Amino acid sequence: MTIARFEDVEFGDDLPTFDPDTGMENVRRFAKAAQMMAARFTDHEGAKKEGLAGAMVPGVMSQAILAAMIHRWAPDADLVKIDTIFRAPVMVDERHHVNGVVTDLNEDERTAEVDLTVTNDAGETRVLGTATVKLP
Amino acid sequence: MILDLHSHSIASDDGRAKVENYCKWIRKKEVPIDGFVLTEHRQFDFAGDYAALARDFDLTILKASEVETEYGHVLVFGVTPALTERFDFGAIGLPLVRVIEESQHHGAIAVPCHPGRTKVGMCAHIETLGVPDGVTIVETLNGGSRGSEDESAQAMAAQLGYQGVGGSDAHIVSHIGRCATRFPAPVRSETELVEALQAGEFEALSWK
Amino acid sequence: MEVEDLKEKFLKLNFDEAEFHVDGDDMVGFALACGETAARYTDPADPDFHATPTFPARFHGRRMLPRDIPLGGKIPLDAGKAVMPQKKIRPGTKLVGRSHLHDIYEKTGRSGRMIFLVSRMELFDEAEDLACIVDSRMVVRERPGE
Repeated sequence: MTIARFEDVEFGDDLPTFDPDTGMENVRRFAKAAQMMAARFTDHEGAKKEGLAGAMVPGVMSQAILAAMIHRWAPDADLVKIDTIFRAPVMVDERHHVNGVVTDLNEDERTAEVDLTVTNDAGETRVLGTATVKLP
Repeated sequence: MILDLHSHSIASDDGRAKVENYCKWIRKKEVPIDGFVLTEHRQFDFAGDYAALARDFDLTILKASEVETEYGHVLVFGVTPALTERFDFGAIGLPLVRVIEESQHHGAIAVPCHPGRTKVGMCAHIETLGVPDGVTIVETLNGGSRGSEDESAQAMAAQLGYQGVGGSDAHIVSHIGRCATRFPAPVRSETELVEALQAGEFEALSWK
Repeated sequence: MEVEDLKEKFLKLNFDEAEFHVDGDDMVGFALACGETAARYTDPADPDFHATPTFPARFHGRRMLPRDIPLGGKIPLDAGKAVMPQKKIRPGTKLVGRSHLHDIYEKTGRSGRMIFLVSRMELFDEAEDLACIVDSRMVVRERPGE
């Protein structure tokens, strides 16, 4: 379900979720576009040589995935602010889930506050954050 | 009476939730708790007055603090102005035993939280620092725990005879009430919370 | 590293200025990899084609932190990012990013004592209009015993 106007949104609404592509091929595609071609993002073995458990999804990518979820939910919305906290690494080639839920509405500003999380299959929160979204 | 004993609002540097929105969320989503305790990082929020919100939403909203000791993070319930003069709540690496003793002297109680978490939890430090004196309760269910962190906390509590409480450790609105603590009687104030913890009749709960 | 000393010496002082060229292909690659489906982010032929709001978070200045900040040789890790878009960014735009330390604080985390450094980059376009603000929270972890 997509949202067209502020009046369509209710406190507590869940955003339609999707499972982002955090596979190596797509992370490399992102890293190339973002000019972040570091081994810690694009190569498991190289990441291990840096003392990591494996390659990690860049934080900028996790944040942009969460922004994409907002755009899928409210295609005509403008993002006023997105604030993400990287609590734990999002590992490349592991399955993750993104979720969003409306936690505040400001009628005067026509904005919605959205809680955002990236979780792994174990249900652990790897990234959390909030966004302020201005709606038509 | 079920209280989430561990939550953070925008008063904490990494908190992103407004207290009012916690209240709205609990009622809208029918979260099965009767209230929550704000445990802001390294401070006591003297300025925050949530009496009107508590009344409007028929919730108990209490204030406490999460301080940082050499054994990891510790919730302090029943904070008084006098207690905040006894040690620097903003400091890193406070001596746990001092936090416990000062809390006791001022009618408060200190509860190590997420003890199964590496570095910021008590379990990891016991091997090197030994078992600290004065601990009676630890947080055995934490909404932010990963992997086997809660199991480690519960094992330590069982081994050392500690009682367990639960708290969500919510930093965003939608995480409130993921873990909580059930008390047999109503808890309406910080003083009553300390008394209820000292009485030892409570149970940690999780809805994770 | 004492936080109060760091604040006194480094807070609010610009330490870097860098130019960035906004490339349309990079905008598309960035958007598609992150799951964007709207043509305004993914199709250069769309009349409203512009960068996704978080695209500026990928820009790094010549320095992430002030040159002489004493970190004891430790490399700061990415702890979080906040992006506040101010204006649509179109392909071909030349941006100037000016950075300063916006906040410094400490806490203990899963891996010991941590010092957080919030570096704010303000990105201006050719008209000197503020196009975006990006706050990068970086964390420096101290090893036990330090």
